[in-house]
Amino acid sequence: MTTSLYVHIPFCKNICTYCDFCKMYYNETQIESYLDALEHELKTVYRGEKLTTIYIGGGTPSCLNISQLNRLFQILAIVKKDENIEYTIECNFDSTNKEKLDLFQKYGINRLSFGIETTKKDLEQYLGRENDLDLIKQTIAYAKKIGLSNINVDLMYALKEETLKDLEKDLDFILSLDVPHISTYSLIIEENTILKLKGEKEIDSEIDAKMYEYIGKTLRKQGYEHYEISNFAKKGFQSKHNLTYWHNQEYYGIGLGASSYIENQRIRNTRSLNQYLKGNRILEIEKLTKEDKMIYEVILNLRLKEGVSLTSFEKTYNKPLRQQFYCYDKLIDMGLLQEEEGRIKIPENKLYISNYIIEELVYGKK
Amino acid sequence: MEHIRNFSIIAHIDHGKSTLADRILEKTGAITSREAVNQMLDSMDIERERGITIKLNTASLKYQLDGKEYLLNLIDTPGHVDFSYEVSRSLASCEGAILVVDAAQGIEAQTLANLYLALEDNLVIIPVINKIDLPNADIPKVKQELKDLVGFEDDEIILTSAKTGEGIDDLLRAIIERIPAPTGKKEEKLKGLIFDSIFDSYRGVIISTRIMDGVLKTGDKLKMMATGKSYEVVELFKNTPKEEKVATLGAGEVGFIVASIKDIGAVEVGDTITLHENPASSPLPGYQPMKSMVFCGLYPIESVKFEALRDALSKLKLNDASLIFEPETSEALGFGFRCGFLGLLHMEIIKERITREFGIELITTAPSVIYKVTLTNGEELDIDAPTKFPSKEKTKEVAEPYIRTNIFAPTDYIGPIMELCQDRRGTYVSMDYINATRVNIHYDLPLSEIVYDFFDKLKSSTKGYASFDYDLIGYKPSALVKMDILLNGEIVDALSVIVHKDFAYNRGKAVVNSLKEAIPRQLFEVPIQAALGNHIIARSTVKALRKDVLAKCYGGDITRKRKLLEKQKEGKKKMKQIGRVELPQEAFMSILSEGE
Repeated sequence: MTTSLYVHIPFCKNICTYCDFCKMYYNETQIESYLDALEHELKTVYRGEKLTTIYIGGGTPSCLNISQLNRLFQILAIVKKDENIEYTIECNFDSTNKEKLDLFQKYGINRLSFGIETTKKDLEQYLGRENDLDLIKQTIAYAKKIGLSNINVDLMYALKEETLKDLEKDLDFILSLDVPHISTYSLIIEENTILKLKGEKEIDSEIDAKMYEYIGKTLRKQGYEHYEISNFAKKGFQSKHNLTYWHNQEYYGIGLGASSYIENQRIRNTRSLNQYLKGNRILEIEKLTKEDKMIYEVILNLRLKEGVSLTSFEKTYNKPLRQQFYCYDKLIDMGLLQEEEGRIKIPENKLYISNYIIEELVYGKK
Repeated sequence: MEHIRNFSIIAHIDHGKSTLADRILEKTGAITSREAVNQMLDSMDIERERGITIKLNTASLKYQLDGKEYLLNLIDTPGHVDFSYEVSRSLASCEGAILVVDAAQGIEAQTLANLYLALEDNLVIIPVINKIDLPNADIPKVKQELKDLVGFEDDEIILTSAKTGEGIDDLLRAIIERIPAPTGKKEEKLKGLIFDSIFDSYRGVIISTRIMDGVLKTGDKLKMMATGKSYEVVELFKNTPKEEKVATLGAGEVGFIVASIKDIGAVEVGDTITLHENPASSPLPGYQPMKSMVFCGLYPIESVKFEALRDALSKLKLNDASLIFEPETSEALGFGFRCGFLGLLHMEIIKERITREFGIELITTAPSVIYKVTLTNGEELDIDAPTKFPSKEKTKEVAEPYIRTNIFAPTDYIGPIMELCQDRRGTYVSMDYINATRVNIHYDLPLSEIVYDFFDKLKSSTKGYASFDYDLIGYKPSALVKMDILLNGEIVDALSVIVHKDFAYNRGKAVVNSLKEAIPRQLFEVPIQAALGNHIIARSTVKALRKDVLAKCYGGDITRKRKLLEKQKEGKKKMKQIGRVELPQEAFMSILSEGE
């Protein structure tokens, strides 16, 4: 059963220096044709399931104007929605006004995800962004007022020359907004980003790790649960949509550069707008064997605080996890994995080296 | 026989030898220009990728001149100093050589070294200035160099552009008119020089030979004069450069012999073949195999591949007599082989061939030279690995091999070159002016100082303008000591290095710092120490791994992130676990670091 849908809106009014997602500058004509192609794709792939999550991401979905947003929501209106659906849209503060928030609410959106990233002026500039803190406060307040209180904000850290003091200020500000979900990312300078082209380097991993620890400690103290490597939520406010990914469950993904996981296939769409508009949508299909699925299950589940359920793993794959992955016992002995109540997980203080642990577990030889 | 010409081409890397060979092949109709695109004579992948010729290769070409048909045997030679042994092999089977010099670069040190080998063999040399189509070609200057350095006359020098084909006809005419035909006699008893061999899994050993006297026919029983082994000739062929079967190979000719030889050891390059029934009384002079200059340990990363590594080395040795190896054991690395090479490039190429052609991942220990150690009891030892170095108490004297350099460079760079040689414990000898703007600098340097990155440093301090060659001049006593490296408090034998006493502190510092960079962070802190005996002279620390995480992992990323993890794991497979520490190849090389 596929009950989640991701919708990609690649357009932005402003390109951030770190962004390696599929994005392009806002262009009215292109948006019109893009929405047509998106409608076509949805009608082609959607098989009529009742959806429990929809996530509109980008790019910057909120940069569409009212009529384009209306068109988008009408396209999405053909899907059946579960009564408890989580329906998220990504926004930035510059392009989100009361009118758009009202429109979101009218079409059943019940979760907002905003990028703040940093509040320090020179670091904003480094990231190619600009924040107006008063505007942020007013926007959040209005959203809450009209019932859109399930809100996430993104924070970035480990930025060039950032200090723990700077990070503390950012966290104070974000906490003052009193939102139930916070995502935090250390800056990774990816290929094909403005920062990479400028020859910028990542911060020393020692400081980075200290910042990660500081964030965890601070947010937990404020009642947030550190439920995934980079994500914190108040009770009941974990992102259901993202949990679909981490639980290794199927999802539709439509739009430019989007990915889907349907019937044992992981499919990636083209990142070329021309190809997409022509209907040459699919770039790559990965057909999954049972082994592949077991690997994904572990890679994804171990991102979560709850880890992997040993019983459901065995039930799904007819093989105990420790028999499939040789280094299991060794990692337990080393304290890099914990077994507890029929689940294995990475201890919280080892999450920041989870790649090391997952690699050993999944690809390690006897 | 008067219509045969045997010749090779001598050139510096990049001076256009392979392109020139292609153009000759094309002119003689051996290949079409489409085939020539990929440098026909360089058949090994590594050769083509590095743009250099390692294993020699032979082509027999037909060419018409003034109504007569000639058979031109082109015997390819490698251009790098490490391979002068191979060069001497090819030159021994030729009567002439083409000396190719780049019209913009001028003559280089290695070219000169190979040229001297050819002159020693009394070969006729045809000087060629190639790449005359280049905008920065300076023909008068290069001509002057050829005249001053080697004593050529103006009218001997041929101008070509292998790229455009200009001058190739002149060159072919010169080959025919200037290079003498081979002089052997067909009626004499058979004498053929084995100048190369390769192993083919279907046909066994294939011998490359130059017949000096007599005639060899298919079906003959041939005999190797040095090993005494006899085989029946199954097949004779020439490379045109496609295989073309022939019934006989007679005096003056160059070709290949297939004789169902399965025993790799039966064929020695340099040996003479004759007939079993009617043997020649004495072999050809052959030639001195070059002595291995650089030694290092080769260890399979997976210890079960030890026998496979032995097999790979045996196969490679078949046509590379200069490669020597014997089993050795390291506490840190397990079972492997101590191998001797002609030089660094030779080592790199063997290592790469083992990995690529035999699928064995290797750790190479840092290269070492042979030290001559006299013990207090008078015993003399040849030490080819730091681990075998005797303790200070037992040692009376240590001597190390020295070389004398030929460094060709523009006069602007004399300062930096002298500084570099001085840093490497060099003694200034002399400086010759090649012309007003170029010099040949002679320094005496310990060989151990040049085996690692000397050439790279030389290149970078002269913006790539210097070229370098050397002669071994013998052993000199030196105040050398063994420096051990400790990781996590334990000596890692494979990381020990021999250093000069006066340079030990600086080297120690440089080595621990470069190890710190080379060793990836582990789960725990790894202290690194350099020690002379029990005395710690430098220390550093690899901090514990703090961050190795995919911060973002959402729908669009999942496949990509998995690939990332796989790639990262692949990298780790190339590391060797020593105690609790995982070491990459670079760590073993970083002990030769001289610092900045």
